[in-house]
Amino acid sequence: MEPLETFIVESTVPEEGDAYKSIVADIITELVLGGAIGRIKVRVRPEDSLFLMAIVLRDSQPTVKVYDMGSVDVTNHLTKEVTISIEQEKYLPELLEQLWARYGRAGVRQPERKTLIMTVEDLDTEVDLLRNLVVADPQKTLQSRLVEMAIRATPEGFRVRYHSMDKHVFVFAATEDILKKEWIQEAQDIATELQEDE
Amino acid sequence: MAAVLEPYIYEGGIHQHTLITELLEDLGGYLIQKVPAATEVTLVMLIPRDDVHLIEELGKKLLGKLERAPLTGTEIAVVSPTLASHHLPHSACDVAEFMRRGGANTNMIGLARGMGRRVSLSDNYERKLINEHDIALFSFGTFADCIKNKKPKLLEGVTVPKIVAGGPKNIKTEEVENADLYVGGIGRVAHRLRKPGELSSLDVLLEKVVEVVEKMREDLAKDPLAVLPPRVMKEIHEQIPEIFNVLSPAPVTLQLDGLRVKLPYDEFHERVENLEFDEGVRLSDIALITKSRMKNYILVKIKRESEVGFTA
Repeated sequence: MEPLETFIVESTVPEEGDAYKSIVADIITELVLGGAIGRIKVRVRPEDSLFLMAIVLRDSQPTVKVYDMGSVDVTNHLTKEVTISIEQEKYLPELLEQLWARYGRAGVRQPERKTLIMTVEDLDTEVDLLRNLVVADPQKTLQSRLVEMAIRATPEGFRVRYHSMDKHVFVFAATEDILKKEWIQEAQDIATELQEDE
Repeated sequence: MAAVLEPYIYEGGIHQHTLITELLEDLGGYLIQKVPAATEVTLVMLIPRDDVHLIEELGKKLLGKLERAPLTGTEIAVVSPTLASHHLPHSACDVAEFMRRGGANTNMIGLARGMGRRVSLSDNYERKLINEHDIALFSFGTFADCIKNKKPKLLEGVTVPKIVAGGPKNIKTEEVENADLYVGGIGRVAHRLRKPGELSSLDVLLEKVVEVVEKMREDLAKDPLAVLPPRVMKEIHEQIPEIFNVLSPAPVTLQLDGLRVKLPYDEFHERVENLEFDEGVRLSDIALITKSRMKNYILVKIKRESEVGFTA
């Protein structure tokens, strides 16, 4: 499944659906969900005050380790210095957080943005450990980001919500009145329909 | 009879900009707002019509730019249903920005319970606050059904001209109950408005707002104010020097028929009421001075000539 293989936003008036699609697209970009979502379908019926959304997620993204972000090398055997040279700085804040917890703030020198220097006791084991240090797990934050996305994408004021997450299928419904059973069913049906496309 | 004043915005370097303000003073114009930003300065001013070319020439010499700003001297309320991320900052703030480029002072107002369709409400306090402005500009969403059938109740009780901005382009003003004007193409978006289509919609909105303001000015000219708001501003600057300690960007905000003085009411209202004019009248004789619903400010609404019997 390609990222955003299916991206449909339906509304009673087609032009309004298109306008709403741009909102949903912006929110997906903002929350960096583009890579995680395989298929998405949104249905808005303003006259019923109803918002439905179904998402089929792509296969889980792997965890990010230090060697995915840059290289770890021993730069000075005498003073036992290990240098991490960052190439992708997307997860740099998370990495710093972990290093600070391990070596203390003073123990991590950062002469410039993409270079981190630490002084360690045992060079070999420490380098190995650092290389395989798990910096971030996109899967872990995925569900919370999905819920955040659903809340942002919903028209404001639709505060009666339903959501379910079953493996890689996310179903969401929102309204401002009492949520009817057939609406939740409709959202589930959209999800089933999306999965059938495979 | 005072000279006819024309609203302009000057943008240029801060170096020697006082030459402009000095010339303006000599010509009998009014400096309404000065916004210095690092090495640049923006001057919002009213210039006597016959002398505009003098300022323009001097501005050119200082490598600045003089532009007509038809909304100068108006205070516009940009109202969004709530302050949540659904409506702000995009679209509503961009709308406000465009109004400011036209010379207006804008206030963003987010209603406490304006969200949703059936459940949306406006509060008495909110309506009164909106009514203190010259124009209320409502920034609504994407769906025609909401704009036509559900949101107009937010406009109820607002007595100033109400302009509605929304997404659908095919709605007529008559279809939006209580609205004085509907402008499409500016609905809910989650990014900054910068695409050509979006910017041209904002231009159209600004144009339409200017039309409304011109119409209001015409109506006002039929029975003119007893004193021009910028003249009152000048007197406040001269007689109440504490105004210079106010940190707000527009310590005295002009409106079409009055002004908002951003000083605490309890402490200063008597001094504002006793503001003296050369003609021997006091401000309380020719204007209504009340406590503003915005913070603790003083709201001055100037009476008409027909009511007072003379113009200062």
